[in-house]
Amino acid sequence: MIQVQNTEENINFLRNVFRKYYFENKDFPYLYSVEKREFGYRKFDSLVIRHISFKNTGELVAELVRNVPLDVYYSNAYYGLPSNPINEKQWEGADLIFDIDIKDLNLPCAHEHTYYICNTCGHVNPEPKLCVNCNKGKTYDTSIPCKKCLTSIKKEAQKLLDFLYCDLGIKEKFVEIFFSGNAGFHFHVNDPSIRSLDSYSRANVTDYIIGNGFMCESIGVRKYRNGFVIKLPKSGIVTGWRKKIASNLGINQKSELKLKKIVEASGGYEGFRNELKKMTRKNGVPIDGQVTNDIHRVFRLPGSINGKSGLTKAKCDDLESFNPNNEACMLSDSEVYVNPKTKLKITLKNNTFRLDDALEKVPSYVAAYLICKGLASISNAQ
Amino acid sequence: MSIKLGSSELAKYPFLQEASEYIHETKFDFEEFNRPEMIHIINRAAEKLESELKGNVYSNLDEYEIEVMTFMVSLLLIKSIGLEEVSRKCSLFEAMRVEKFLTTDLSNERSIEKKRLLVQKIFLELFKINIDVDSTSSICKLSVPDYLQRASKMNEQEWKLINRSVKDGYVYLDTDETVRLIRNELSNLIYSRIKNMKIVEIPISIKSKADELRTKYSGRYVYRNQFKILEYPPCIKHAMEIINKGENLPHSARFMLATYMLAIGKTVEDVIDIFKNSPDYNEKITRYQVEHLAGKKGSHIKYSVPSCDRLRSEDLCFAVKECENLINPIQFGRRKII
Ligand code: SF4
Ligand SMILES: [Zn+2]
Ligand SMILES: [Zn+2]
Repeated sequence: MIQVQNTEENINFLRNVFRKYYFENKDFPYLYSVEKREFGYRKFDSLVIRHISFKNTGELVAELVRNVPLDVYYSNAYYGLPSNPINEKQWEGADLIFDIDIKDLNLPCAHEHTYYICNTCGHVNPEPKLCVNCNKGKTYDTSIPCKKCLTSIKKEAQKLLDFLYCDLGIKEKFVEIFFSGNAGFHFHVNDPSIRSLDSYSRANVTDYIIGNGFMCESIGVRKYRNGFVIKLPKSGIVTGWRKKIASNLGINQKSELKLKKIVEASGGYEGFRNELKKMTRKNGVPIDGQVTNDIHRVFRLPGSINGKSGLTKAKCDDLESFNPNNEACMLSDSEVYVNPKTKLKITLKNNTFRLDDALEKVPSYVAAYLICKGLASISNAQ
Repeated sequence: MSIKLGSSELAKYPFLQEASEYIHETKFDFEEFNRPEMIHIINRAAEKLESELKGNVYSNLDEYEIEVMTFMVSLLLIKSIGLEEVSRKCSLFEAMRVEKFLTTDLSNERSIEKKRLLVQKIFLELFKINIDVDSTSSICKLSVPDYLQRASKMNEQEWKLINRSVKDGYVYLDTDETVRLIRNELSNLIYSRIKNMKIVEIPISIKSKADELRTKYSGRYVYRNQFKILEYPPCIKHAMEIINKGENLPHSARFMLATYMLAIGKTVEDVIDIFKNSPDYNEKITRYQVEHLAGKKGSHIKYSVPSCDRLRSEDLCFAVKECENLINPIQFGRRKII
């Protein structure tokens, strides 16, 4: 998956602004236990290198400034020997991580700001088909999330936090929220009591949050012969998902009759089952299960630059007010010339840029954003 | 705390710390097992063992001293019989015996303090799980991570966190559920005690009983691995894996497994053999059920394999790419032969 049109000029430009950033931002305050983490990075030629380790943050920064990768990753896991092959690392536990992404919300506004870029010639196509310019390349999509996108993803983020705090009982001090650097949020939970959970247990949590696998029986509807019977569970319907579903259905511990009518109205056991499925999906949060369940995965390093956008994976202290286009936009202001490939409008660091597909002078952070998204290339014009 | 468990309670749980302390205090010597009055204990242990090997929970309960001794002798017997299957099966049935006592104790006990003490003794001492008993509802609560570590190994959907009462980091369970939660662990615990037992010399009286039992039972388990899994559909593979691990299969899965095996031409005997490894195996019942499915009993209707649709709705489907367009698991793999 090549996201950047890797002409030498573009790469040189990006490497320079990235290097400057890593040189000036040396602390990585949200990186704990450096010496126990596996690191990996993606180079500008797309090659991914894994199984690296550093004794301290200083060593890491030195490497970043020297080699300037496109993306930097580190393991959620803590290892005794982080640079060994995967089976010999001595796994000691892993943070629990959740990932939500705007594209998984399937928002109606997506088409207004999605571009289809040819992986061969870099042309920006109006549709995800064979490239109209070169007739050879396939397209990949790139998106400039809008305000509506941001509002929607924050709503999901809030729902996720409710699950974590109210149901799973995770203390706020153990949860760190990061903007992913592109179109989503990452939640890092570093509660020591859950570090040792294996992937089955994590998958169980994932299903809880997505709303996957809720049984009719849990709300008191049991299959019986060809029909069903109502028998509310002994342990009640006043907590967790049972509570959510009960309030969606408008029932309580005494509503056996009402529940029976509801099930009948939805066409019996099977019909009710389908209704429930829809209801749980709506109340759940569409996190990426593979991310959460994997205890040997590498994740984008907090504070590093996302090669898909030139924005950083920034800490988000207040969801409500967080604006990634300001707070995660950290690259240099110095101006350069770019050739945008299409007409577009973009607001970064509180400045709005309206670009035509003609040579334009913009701050480096805008240039980097557009180049990373495949929507512009750097120009040598002075 | 002034509340203590009495010896009649402890008799049911001879694997607790107290029991080894008891043995220690009485300065009991292994050699004493060779004394004539011990024959009774050895026979009792053997009786318990045989009942377990037949697939029954041994529910006789005697005085504390006798139970502690019997438990110790059974472990020695199992160890010196030295058959893996015997160790596994007896551990499991020992666990089920405890499960039975514990469920009754927990639901009949009026004093909340005593209940708490029992729960804490067993769960905390043996498994390091902190379980608290709610004083008004008698519902047990344990932390989400403690719950997950156990429940995520269970296959039944009802154990999924989403189907539980969850609040503020705790999962709420009634007493039966709490006990079921540790069934596997308890059996593993007993199993590992047998495994890790280091005995210099087993008393001759126990050894000769063990020899007797070994001769009697060693032939029974020979056929166990005669089925190689060639290319069963994923749903069947999954059920087989659970059985082979010695874990419990839900009824719907057993039905699927048995009808499938019969459909591909296995004999009733073959199918019974497959179930031999399941924890609550009882030959008589299994035989009856399999014969019934094969149409040899009762209605004389041969049951067919449930459709993929139905299995999907019962959450028994683990479809892979090759499952595309299948209507029934029986079709799986057939298309390959052209
Ligand atoms: S699709 Fe059919 S054969 Fe495949 S796993 Fe599901 S039930 Fe079994
Ligand atoms: Zn093209
Ligand atoms: Zn949008």
